[in-house]
Amino acid sequence: MSNLWALIVKEVKELVRDPKILIGVVLMPIIIFPIMGAAIQVSQESVERAIMGASFAVYTDDKGFVTEALLGYLYTNNTVVPIEAGSLEEALIAFKATDSSALIYIPRGYHANVTLGQRGVLLVYANLRNLNMAETQSTNVVTSLINVYNYYFSITKIRNLLEQTSSVGTPEAVRSPIGIRYASILKGNVLDVSPNAIFSLVMGQSIMLPIMVMMMVVFAIQMAATSIALEKEQKTLETLMTLPVSRFTILAGKLSGSIVIALAGSVSYLIGFGFYINSAFSFVPEVTTMNIDDVGIGITPLGLALVGVVIFVTLVSALAMALSVAVFADSVRSAQSFTGALITPIMIPAIVLMFSDIEMLPQSFQWIMLAIPYTHTIIATKAAFLANYAVVVRSILFISVWTVVVLYVAAKIFSTERIITARFTFGDLGKRLRLRRHAS
Amino acid sequence: MDAIEVRQLTKDFGNTQALRGASFSVREHEIFGLIGPNGAGKTTALRILSTLISASSGKAQVFGFDVARQPEKVREILSYLPEDAGAYQMLSGLEFLEFMAGFYSKDRAEMKRIVDEGRKISGLGERLSDRVNGYSKGMKRRLLIARALMMKPRLAILDEPTSGLDVIQSFHVRNMIREYADTQGVTVLLSSHNMLEVEYLCGYVALIDGGVIIAEGTPEALKERYGGKNLEDVFMEVTKSE
Repeated sequence: MSNLWALIVKEVKELVRDPKILIGVVLMPIIIFPIMGAAIQVSQESVERAIMGASFAVYTDDKGFVTEALLGYLYTNNTVVPIEAGSLEEALIAFKATDSSALIYIPRGYHANVTLGQRGVLLVYANLRNLNMAETQSTNVVTSLINVYNYYFSITKIRNLLEQTSSVGTPEAVRSPIGIRYASILKGNVLDVSPNAIFSLVMGQSIMLPIMVMMMVVFAIQMAATSIALEKEQKTLETLMTLPVSRFTILAGKLSGSIVIALAGSVSYLIGFGFYINSAFSFVPEVTTMNIDDVGIGITPLGLALVGVVIFVTLVSALAMALSVAVFADSVRSAQSFTGALITPIMIPAIVLMFSDIEMLPQSFQWIMLAIPYTHTIIATKAAFLANYAVVVRSILFISVWTVVVLYVAAKIFSTERIITARFTFGDLGKRLRLRRHAS
Repeated sequence: MDAIEVRQLTKDFGNTQALRGASFSVREHEIFGLIGPNGAGKTTALRILSTLISASSGKAQVFGFDVARQPEKVREILSYLPEDAGAYQMLSGLEFLEFMAGFYSKDRAEMKRIVDEGRKISGLGERLSDRVNGYSKGMKRRLLIARALMMKPRLAILDEPTSGLDVIQSFHVRNMIREYADTQGVTVLLSSHNMLEVEYLCGYVALIDGGVIIAEGTPEALKERYGGKNLEDVFMEVTKSE
């Protein structure tokens, strides 16, 4: 058994047997996300049930065949509560006593206006008793019903007018003379797909990958920092550093052990998140049957291999950084505070580039973003989907240079007495600040 | 050849001088005691010899290997037990011994021999299967002593080996150290506040104070020179005159 393997096994055992890490990193996402998803699903289903069973009330002050036709439409296939009253005030009192959340009021003159070619106006009253989603949804149901009626009513009227005037054309074209068809040019190919559809597809699939990478990096940073802080807290670091094994092997063991746990955490997160999406958004109908490969932005084996390299160099640099910083912590808690500062520059590019492209940002902000090595992780994973391999390779080179620098620093710290003697607490910072204030 | 040779060793931590030209030698197969009050520089000297920290100036050699220039060689032949050392809480005692033995063995058979030795030294029996986080302070110390001696290193550096142990456990550990020095040829450099322990174990003693060696010799020679009944009297006499 090689020394490195022994160190990795020890790291994994130590981390995975720690209940805080096992529950917090590995088990929590698998448990919490499905619970969250189920809670959203239950609430959505109850809203849906409330909408399906929702009735609306109808009160009319008007007569005539136009009004009768509207009433006939409303009463067909809907649960309608008819309101009989002498005035609108009485009708509203009667409406409030019902379970309905919406009242359609057909005022006097509706029939006359429509027959005279004027607009007939209806009033919809919403009774907001509890201000919940179901109440507003029932108003939307009424609005949709009337909109559908409105459309076919207008088409019928236009058809009659076209016939009377012997004009050419279709009622639909007269009603809406200009239509738009979308096409997108992607990687030089013209596709009969709207840019929004492509974007939602890319959002759903290729954007998730960099986000997952970043989640894994964050987990790995926490693991690495915890691992070195545990050595200090348990007073095992001095023994470890006097073993007949190179300091670089110890560093590599810590890096690899942290990557293993981070991978487990990310897989757990992915599974948990999958459950969450499936259950929480199960009520949303499939908008598109398009597949990411159909529009030619599926990742190729070469792209996937390059993404693998991007993930690897990103992880190694982030972990080396975490280990270098955690050396200065004297406990797990303080190590975790230190890593909070590291996570910020990693998450900022992930969040900013999730919604925009680097070229869209103001010039000065672009330079700041490009100076952060982890921006290139996002750029590279996005570019891999679009087969811009030159961009991916450029990003890999940039991150690799950064990785070498950070690894060198970590190896230096590990090979000198700093690993044993370095200490920094927030108390020290306070003391220094107080001393400076006294001095001034 | 001396097992340890230290010449004019100094170590500065910022403005604090922990060692100010300490010099001493340890002969092979000897149990050497480094004693002194708190802050005298004992642990700093042991840490330099264990390759954990580097000296500001001076020379330190272990079996002819320079600790600053050949730390890898030194680590292959020594075993260091820090005063407040711990063990991996989430591993069992046995897993801990196996993990440590792996670094000193070429194959599984050798690793098993080392671990069996560790079992014997620790005297923890069935409790070795339990996780370390369930051990008492004494049990942990016995495990750590076993870890330090089981591979029969050429040099064992033990900082306060019986710290935190009760009378019976201390007796057991002291006998183990003596047995390993006598029968296995292990050279031992230890520091302790327990003068009776040092007198019982050590063939040669150096008193350190203020970062320099202020007296050294066999316990008998020191008692005779300073007119003390035991090493405690010697210690008080020497530190008073300093």
